[in-house]
Parts: sequence; C-alpha cells; structure tokens
Amino acid sequence: MAGKEATVYIVDCGSTMGERSHGRKETNLDWALQYVWDRITSTVATARKTTLVGVVGLRTDSTASAMDHDESYSNINVFQPIDQILMPQLRRLRDELVVSSTPAGDCISALAIAVGMIVQKCKKLQYARKIVIITDARGSVDAEDLSKIVGKMNADNMELVVLGVDFDDAEYGFKEEDKDETKAENEAILQTLCNDCSTATFGTLAQAIDELGTPRLKSTKPVASFKGLLTLGNPQEYESALAIGVERYPRVMQAKPPTASKFVMRGDMTATQPTQSTATMSGSDEAPNDGLASVKQARTYQVKDEEAAGGKKDVDFDELSKGYEYGRTAVHISESDRNVTTYETTSSLDIIGFVDKSKYERYLEMDRSNLIVGNKNDDKNTIALSSLIHALYELESYAVARLVTKDNKEPRLMLLAPNIEPDFECLWDVELPFAEDVRSYKFPPLDRVVTVSGKTLTVHRNLPSDELQDSISTYVDSMDLSTFGKDDETNEAEYAAMDETYSPMLHRINQVTKHRAVYQDAEPPPPYEILTRYAHPPADLVKQSQKSLDKVIKAADVKKVPPKARGKRFGRKGREEKPLSDLDVGALLASDPKRNTKRIDPRNAIPEFKQILNIGSDDVSAVQDAVKQLKNIMFEWIKHSVGDSGYGKAVEAIRVMREEMNDLDRPGPYNDAMQELKQKLLKEELGGERREMWFLVRRNKLGLLQQSDSSESEVTEEQAKLFLSAKL
Amino acid sequence: MTDLPHRDKPAEPSKYGGGPEEEEEEEDDVDDSAYKTVKDAVLFAIDVSESMLQTPKVVVPKKPDTALSPTVAALKCAYALMQQRIISNPNDMMGILLFGTEKSKFQDGDEETGKGGLQYPHCYLLTDLDVPAASDVKLLRAMVEDEEEASKLLQSSTEEVSMANVLFCANQIFTTKAPNFSSRRLFLVTDNDYPHASNRDARNSAAVRAKDLYDLGVTIELFPISHPDRGYTFDRSNFYNDIVYSATPSDPDAPAPLTNDIKSASSSAKDGISLLQALLSSVASRAAPRRALFGNLAFEIGPGLKISVKGFILLKRQEPKRTSYIYLPSDSERPQVAVGSSTLMAEDTARSVEKVEIRTAYKFGGETVSFTEEEMAKIRYFGDPVIRIIGFKPMDMLPIWANYKHNTFIYPSEEEYIGSTRVFSALQQKLLKDNLFGLAWFIPRKNAVPTLAAVYAGAEKRNEEGEQVMPPGLWLKPLPFADDIREPPETNSIKAPDELVDAMRVIVQQLQLPKAIYDPSKYPNPSLQWFYKILQALALEEDLPDAAEDKTLPRWKQIHRRAGPYVVDFGDALEKHYADWQRENGSKVHPTANGAAKRSTPAATGGAKKVKTEDGGDTGPTDEEMRSAYQKDAIAKFTVASLKAFLVAKGQSATGKKPDLVNAVTQYFETRMETD
Repeated sequence: MAGKEATVYIVDCGSTMGERSHGRKETNLDWALQYVWDRITSTVATARKTTLVGVVGLRTDSTASAMDHDESYSNINVFQPIDQILMPQLRRLRDELVVSSTPAGDCISALAIAVGMIVQKCKKLQYARKIVIITDARGSVDAEDLSKIVGKMNADNMELVVLGVDFDDAEYGFKEEDKDETKAENEAILQTLCNDCSTATFGTLAQAIDELGTPRLKSTKPVASFKGLLTLGNPQEYESALAIGVERYPRVMQAKPPTASKFVMRGDMTATQPTQSTATMSGSDEAPNDGLASVKQARTYQVKDEEAAGGKKDVDFDELSKGYEYGRTAVHISESDRNVTTYETTSSLDIIGFVDKSKYERYLEMDRSNLIVGNKNDDKNTIALSSLIHALYELESYAVARLVTKDNKEPRLMLLAPNIEPDFECLWDVELPFAEDVRSYKFPPLDRVVTVSGKTLTVHRNLPSDELQDSISTYVDSMDLSTFGKDDETNEAEYAAMDETYSPMLHRINQVTKHRAVYQDAEPPPPYEILTRYAHPPADLVKQSQKSLDKVIKAADVKKVPPKARGKRFGRKGREEKPLSDLDVGALLASDPKRNTKRIDPRNAIPEFKQILNIGSDDVSAVQDAVKQLKNIMFEWIKHSVGDSGYGKAVEAIRVMREEMNDLDRPGPYNDAMQELKQKLLKEELGGERREMWFLVRRNKLGLLQQSDSSESEVTEEQAKLFLSAKL
Repeated sequence: MTDLPHRDKPAEPSKYGGGPEEEEEEEDDVDDSAYKTVKDAVLFAIDVSESMLQTPKVVVPKKPDTALSPTVAALKCAYALMQQRIISNPNDMMGILLFGTEKSKFQDGDEETGKGGLQYPHCYLLTDLDVPAASDVKLLRAMVEDEEEASKLLQSSTEEVSMANVLFCANQIFTTKAPNFSSRRLFLVTDNDYPHASNRDARNSAAVRAKDLYDLGVTIELFPISHPDRGYTFDRSNFYNDIVYSATPSDPDAPAPLTNDIKSASSSAKDGISLLQALLSSVASRAAPRRALFGNLAFEIGPGLKISVKGFILLKRQEPKRTSYIYLPSDSERPQVAVGSSTLMAEDTARSVEKVEIRTAYKFGGETVSFTEEEMAKIRYFGDPVIRIIGFKPMDMLPIWANYKHNTFIYPSEEEYIGSTRVFSALQQKLLKDNLFGLAWFIPRKNAVPTLAAVYAGAEKRNEEGEQVMPPGLWLKPLPFADDIREPPETNSIKAPDELVDAMRVIVQQLQLPKAIYDPSKYPNPSLQWFYKILQALALEEDLPDAAEDKTLPRWKQIHRRAGPYVVDFGDALEKHYADWQRENGSKVHPTANGAAKRSTPAATGGAKKVKTEDGGDTGPTDEEMRSAYQKDAIAKFTVASLKAFLVAKGQSATGKKPDLVNAVTQYFETRMETD
C-alpha cells in the first residue's frame, strides 16, 4: 500500500493563459490542464482516502483563501481544500479552472497559501508533501519573503515541482525566441526557488505532457509468498540434512486492466433517456446520480425429476448441500467430512535433486515466477543460500524442489535457478508440470517426412528447400533486436526490453476512463504511441532487411487459399473418400439394393443423407428430396422427444444439413426447412412446448445461410439476425 | 493407473463455457468446432473370440500382468482409461461393447430375450455410452478382478459375429447417446485380422457400415494384437484397411499421421513388456482427442510473409474438480447433482434483465464512467488476431523468471496458406540451431488482450521405444510487461566465500536427477491423486484409503547416503566462515540497517522505527511468549502485526481482523495441545 500523500496544484488561470502560443490549437490553459487532469484523475481513479489533493487557482477573477483579507493575496482562489478528491469535486473543478479576465495575482502568494494548506492539514504526520505550480510566469512573482517559505518547505520536507508554459529547457531542447522580458525574469526567479528547495523539479510543460504517454508503474510492497526452511535431506531424521531459512516473494504478477461492471438503466429512468449518453457527468447541476443500476446474478437450481413437466424440477438453495461429481454420480460429503479430500501436507521447501541447465526445456514453465532470498534476520542463511546459488551457477545447473506454501496446501514442484547481480543474489523459481498436466498430442516431424507408405523423405513440399532455409537464416539474423535499441546514453541496447514494454489494455483502459471522466462528450483519444509501438517490427529494421525478406518470400512461395475453396467439398468432388485400402466403397454403396431406393433410414439418417448428396449433388431434385427427407425425420425426432431426449439428434441433423448445403452452395432448401422448423416450434406443432429446442438452435448459431455465406442466398444479415430471435 | 495422460476440459473454442479468464474474450472467432458440442465420446469394442480369451503360454514370473488373456487385458485397459477420464475429462463419455460373446445385450436391459439380442446378436453392451457412473466403474472392476464374474460373460459364441452388425451397433450407440459430439471414436481391440475370411459379401457389408461410421463422423482407432508365441502377426491389409479411414487420403507422399506408427501389440510378454502395458501406452497416446486452442491464426514472420498456424495446449495445470451442489431427497433416494442456471437482475427493481440492455461501465472516483458498445469495441481493438514477429533475440535474453502462465504450442496448418509447413519448418530449425527466439505481438482471438510473446523452438523428443513424447514445433511464451514485474525486497547481499561454494558444488554433483533432466511423467500430482482416490472410495461406498503415495517427496535416504558426509562438511565450513564474517562485520553494524541504508537513497527518515517494526514483524512473538499468553487468555494483548507474523510462521492463514487472528492463534494452540 502506498503511503499517505498530500499534493497541492497551483494552476495559473490568468488572462495570458488564454493565448494560443507556438501554433498550438488549444489555449495555454487547456494545454496545461492536460497535465493537471491526468494527474488529478489518476488520484480520483484510486479512490484512496489517504491520497489528498488541493487545488489553488492563481490569477483568478475571484479571491477566496485563508488570507483573502490581505490585498497581496488577491486573485487567488482555493478551489479545492486539501482532501480526498472524487468525481463531484472533479466535476466542479472542471468548471472552475477557466481562463480569467485578469493578469493580476502573485505566484509566490499562491505558493505561501499552498504551504499553509499543507502545514495545517498534515501537521507533523507522515505525509509525502508536494506542491505543483503550473504557470506561464507572466504574472507577478514577488520574491520577497521567499526564503522564509523555502525554509518552511525544506523543514517539512515538501517537494516542489514547477512546470512552465514554454519555459526554456536546454536538456529537453526548448528555447523560446523573443521571450517576454518579465517572463524571462520570472523564470529565473522560479529556477532559483527550485534550486533553494531540497527536493524540487523545474521543467518545461511540454516535456511533462510528452511524458504523460509513458505509463507510470505502480510499485507494490513485496509480500512474502512463503517463509520457511529450504532443506536438503530430512532434518528430522538425519544429522546430515541442510536447512536454510528463506523467504519467497513474487517476481511476476500480472497487472490486470480494471474490469468493467455490468449496469442497466435504473428502473425509474424513462425510455427516452438517450442510450449513448455517458450519464456520468451531465453538468455540475445534476445530482451525482448516474442513472445506472448494477446488475446482479440470481441463481436457480434444478434437478432431474421424471414426473415434473419438462423432466426437471426446481429445488430450493436451502435444500442443497455441497459435494462432488464422480463421473455422473453425485457424491455427497457431509459437513464433518469436508476435509477428507484434502491431502495433508506441512509447509516446506525441499530440494529433490538437480538438473542440467542445457537439458532443461523452457516450455515446462507453468505459472508466475517468484524469487527466493535468505531470511533477513540471520545472515548465516544468506551466506548458505549464496553458496548454493554460486554452486548452481558454476555447474550450470538448476535445482528441483517441492514446495508447500502453507500447511495442507497442495505440493508443487519448482525449478530453482540461480541469479547473481552485483548487489543482489537470489534463486528464481517457476512451477513445473506434474504427470497429469502433460497432454500427449503427437505431431509429425518438421525436418523429415515419413510417408503413408513408410518412406522417409528429406525433400518434400512440406520441407524447406536449401534456398528457403538459407534465406530465412539470413533474414532472421538481419532482424536482430539484441542491439537495435538505445539506452539512456544512446549506446546500443536491447530493443523492446521487458521493462520498456507496457501492458496495452491496462493503460488503454486507464487512459480512456480518465479522459472520459473529464471530457465527457469527447471521443476517446487514440492510444498512446508506446502502447502500440511493439505491434510491428521497427520500420528502420524492416527497411534494412527488406532484401533478405524478399528472398525468403520468393523461396517460400506461400499461396493463400481462396476462401470458397476452403470448404470440405474442395478437392472432394469427383474423388470419393476411400479407406486406407482404396476399396471402392462408392461402388459397394451403389450396388446396395436398400440404398438404391434413396429412402433415408431414420436410424442411419446422417450417413445416408451425406451419401445421397455425394452421388447426386448435381441433381437438383435429388438434393431437394434428400433435404426434405432429413427434415421430416428431424421433425419426427422432435415430436417424439421425451423432454429433451431427441433434441441432440435434431441439432446434429440441422448442423449437417447446414454444412452440406453450404458446401454445395445451395442455401435455398436448408433455409426453407429452417423457416418451417421455426414456425412449427413456436406454434407448438411438434408435440407441444418445444422452446428449449429453439433455444438450442439459437445457442448453436444454426441460423439461416445468408449472403455472406453463399452468393446464392437471398437472406440479408438483418433477416438472418431476425430469424434467430424468439419471435415469428 | 497413473500411466495415462490427464486432460481437463479443453480451452473451449465454443461459446458456452470458458473460465473466468475467458470472460473478456467471449467474442471469439467462430470456428467450425463451435457448432458441435465440444465433447469426446469413446466406445471400446473388445473382441471376445476364442483366441482372445487364451492366456499366453509364456508368463514372466512376478509379473501377473503377463498372464492375462488379451480380452481381459483390454478390459483392464478400459477400466484404467475410465478411471482416468473421470479425472481428466469429467464431461466426456465412454462405453464398452463386447463382441463375439455368446450372450447378447443392447440398451435398456433387454438381455437375451429383448429385441436388442435379435438386432445385434453376439454384441454385448457392457456399459452404455455415457459419462461414467460409479456403478460402471464397479461393474468393470468386478470384471477384471473377479475371474468367476468375468467368466460368466466372457464366453465366445460358436458362430462368427457379423462385423457389419458390430459396426452398425456402434453406429446406433453413437447416434443416440452422443449426438452432435465433436469427437466420436471407436476403439477396436481385436486379434482377428481377417473376419469373414470366406465370405466376401459379409466383408463388403462391413465396409459399407464402416463408411456409414465415417460419414457420421466416427473415427475408428484400431488396436491390433499379434500372437508371436503362436506365430501369428496381425495383417491390416486383409480386412482392416477397408474399414479404417485416414485423415489425409490418397496421396502416397502425404505425411503419415503419427497414430499409424502404432504397431500391433504382442500378446506374449516381449522384453518384459506385457500386453496390458503395450495397450495402455497405445491407448494413452490416443486417449486425448487433439483439440486446437486456436485454429488457423495468421503467423506473420515478416511484413508480407504470412503463414497459418494452429495453437495447442500441451501443458496445463490439472486441478481437482470444484464442489457441486448436491440435492439429497428426503425420501433417501440417491443424491442428485443440482444444475444451476443464472439470470441477470437489476439491483434496484429486481426485474430480470436481457443481455442487450446491459452496459458496461468502469467504477471511477466513487461513480461510474461508461462507454457505448461501439466505443468499447473501438477502445479494445488492437488489430486482428495475429502472431506477428517484430524481430529476434538470443535465448539468453529470455530470463527464466519471464513467465506467468503455461506456454502454448504452435504447429503449421496448410488450410489458409499453402506452403505454411515448409516456412514454419525452416524457421523452427533456424531458431533451434542458433538458440534464438522471436519477439511477437500476439492476439490469440478476436478482441483478446494483446501481449508480447517469445516464440521459441522445441525439438522433437522420443523415448527409448521410439515413441514421440514431445512434438517438434514452436512455443509461445507470453512475456510480462514492465507493469507485471515486481521489485525484489531489500536484502543484505553477502557473497559466500569460494571454499563454501566449492563445498556446495560437491553436494549438487552428488544429487542429480536421472539423466539430469526433469521428467514430469515421474511425478504424479499427489493432492490430485489423493482427491480422486477419496472421491472414488466415497462414490463406490468403500473404505477410505489411509495413506497416499507421494512421489514428489525427496528420497531422504538416498540423499543422506550420497551427499550426507558432504553436507556435514559444508555445515562445518559454514559455521567457521560465519564466525569469521561476524567478527569482521557483525558487531559493528546492524545488518538490516546496513542493507537498508545502502539501497534506499532518499528518505532516510524514520529509519530507526522501520528497523524495529521489521525485526518485530518478521518473526513475531516466540512460541513461549505466545503460549504463556494463550494460557493466561491474553493473546489479544499482542498487536495485529505480531499475531500475523506468528501465524504466518506457523503456516496458518493470517487474514482478517484482530478478533479473527486471536481466534486463529487460540485454535492453533488448542489443536496443538491435543497432539502435544
């Protein structure tokens, strides 16, 4: 948890802030506010009670502060006393921070007020104190009494940040030509002020606004995920066992983007409420009611009951108890036996052996990594652990250990890898898979082809030619990122190192929510450049490697498969599927007297339907007849279904019909059949209430074949959507 | 029984499932498997012919498995598979059909007299195709463990069973019990390579019925058995090549599907490998239907060079099943699983809400900030699904800690781009040879959160029997962003002197795991195994087992024997060096303060106080202090921090408010007292 913070923003609202300088489209104040809003909304977003914000307007039309009786404090308005800041305050501030009609008001007086505010609020308590001044330095900057203020600030450990509109900054590389003389003087005074403060930053606003695009990292206080002994051998049984006191901390922990909650319009809201509104802040007059009611989940439970209608009956939640399913058998476990399924363990970290680094496969890593350091309270642990770390490092080995983080937690096997930095040593740990976690899927080799007939080939269309292998090798080498980046001193460095990459979704959501909180009617801004920087290879590198890439493309000769040809029917036409032996099953089928009648046996409906289509897919009437037969069989299944017993078969028939008609590019018969099905279902003509069957059709997305599926279809996207609704 | 692979539900490409992780990604790309129920149904068809019931002549003593008849071995294998699938595929179906039996039985208990017997003579449906129930497991166990029970059923018929009938029987079982399943497989175990040897028409009818199964979408997986001791080798070309279909037909140069590698198992023990073991391993390799995590994703190796790949999850943590709600009827019928369904409701009026009404909003500063659906779609859009390589780096720039979830395996597919395989192969070989990885921008599905991933090569691995244990391909490792990387805590860095490192090195060298590798198949998950053992015992109403086997425990004895003396040496050296070190450093500066001061540059304020809380907070009160407080009923006098530290040190949960902590400590002593 972050510590307590108190920050006062002094925002210059003087009339000169209404100018538009250096070709910028927005006024200097609006430009400056980009920074202010970003900082303030970041605070609002945390909704933390211990992060306090005050806002002081400088060179405002009105005057309001603890010192407002004193003339030298006029045109200074404390818009927000130091306090927690939430949406209503933000809304108010948005209306208050506007360009005034006066150039008058003294910057140092505002600083004095800010210092006073902090002193009064924070007293001697543990706060991180900070004052941020944003100004164009074209008002008055009265340096009298400054040393007293600086003295107080330093005594109370207040940090000062001065951000100036178009201030000169050699480091950032900005110098304002034809600078106003007063401004130049004032800049100098503010610079001196910063030099006098023990912690201070003096900079030009442009830089601060640039840096808004670089996300800020949240630091989290490390919390140990395990404390105990790292053992080698069993200290309880053997004298020869080794035990080192260690602590384990998370190394990687995914920072998730904030999750959206589900809402609906409040019940008392009328339907005329514009749906696209961002009901959050429609002006300061409106009550903070955002017109949204949150959505809850209500759960109901059913069990099978043959006597009940639909084969199921509702049961009360109170009638249920906890248990497990073993296959389809319900296993009830009484309250007192709740723990029998728990495998009893004792918290521990035991080394079971060592493995070679060179033989270790990286894909075995299963979960978030952690790090292990010696117990802080006893340096003997640190020394002992250090010898293990160095021994592993020198032997190029890893340890495998069994970890139980707490009593009765399930054991995990971990890989422990040494890490040695100049001032820091630890073991990294990652989880390894158990036998049950490995799925044995098999895939053909990539460097040779073993054919159906048992030959091993090294030249084959699925294998790269020497030309392709060589050109890819050259291309890969030319796209090396290990030295493509630049470090702070513009030396060669790793490009896209992990600590320079930011979670795109996390910061994108933060960016747009903060933006929307202030600018409710504006379109969300485009993502910060850094969030999409690594979506593509760096342009310079691409240019540099273009020649070698062209060679790869030529040698690879990759061809896109045209979309329509992707269907199963592609390459199937005129070539009957055959078993391994090449037996002509088609001929056998054709000579089968029962199948010659083209009457589909309902028991063998799907295969026979497919077989009819396979023989006579060019015969329009044969296809139509087959679809009709299958349709009628499907209707019978639904009609005679006890509860939902026949629905699965019916869904399968629809699916097959849909696939086959799509492959044949004949949407008509299928669409007609589906229209008829919907009619009959909703009119309860297939053995009564069959809403669940219709639900299954919808859930399986077995809608009409529309124009995007087949050019032969007359069904528009709109019609297809309508069809899948529950209405006729 | 742990030889079979385990697999939980696939990362569903379908619409109607998915864990919480998938919630945000619900608008997945539609692929064709989405139309079908993503479930697997396996029907075991086991031949019960005269020769299948013969026990082998040569029996390896001490290996009772080698004395099993092929039929019983197959049943044992099915029994193992059933138990395993209850764990790994709790929603998938399985059934067992015996054929060539004297008795006949089809669905609905129409034994002998019913129409089932007439329909499918000499087919005996032992357990119907369904999610297995405890009773199925019991029945099957009786068959394999009780010879008398088994011999009642395992009698072969005198007349030859019609293979066409067997196949149609399977057809009907799949049609009625597993409609619309994405995966339906018939596991056929037999030693007869030439049924209906003298009846061509009967063979042709079987071929027609096999085609029906093919058109129904049922795959036949053949498990042939040879009898070397009788001089009999199973020959597929006699009959079964007319029955079995290959996924990639007709092209003689087509790469053979790996399942064809599977040789016929031998009924007599060869090299000490029993038929059962051979069957188990070949069933294991086919037990899991291969399901793609994503299909035909664009893999952009350079601008203008796209191929298509499929993604598979080969490694994923298998968790025990979550609890369900069980309904126990008052009239003491069998307990039933209650199926929950949820409806969305507005909090203010409790009216139910349609999905279209729902808007998403973010909590912000005590209120909400909302976006329209189109805005949200635009905000979340970072481009179409892709794996796009943006450059390459050496593997040593991929630190071992850069991991937060399982890695995904990718393999080329020719379905979108012809030539994908050769390009993929060239890249895989290059990366493997030069130890490089590609850095990629990775969006697995439509609207999925983009990540950066390392694309690195994995070599093919085969075991001693030549069977593939890890396929060749590329792996995707999602990389953490700067936001995800945690800073280490402050520590004192004290490097061990060389003598100590040397002493430790000897120990490490003594204790290498076999072949110096980590082999996951050697380590079943002890808590998962225990969980299902207990659950099985409860479901079958048997006594609970009292001890569990835990192969993850270190081999204490071996460690002691092999490294014991060296550890003692190391301990002595450590004591000596630590004493030296203390003399030099210890007494002068408090180590913690020293370390902290070095690292934290600004804000040295309150240092003294910090050290104090840290010292107190880490260890907490001693056992003695806490015990005496417990006896005086004065635990509450400790601070929350001390209580927490004490509890953490004891491996107890340390969450909640002070009263909770006091309770936890009290409870700790109460249970301790009993055992003391």
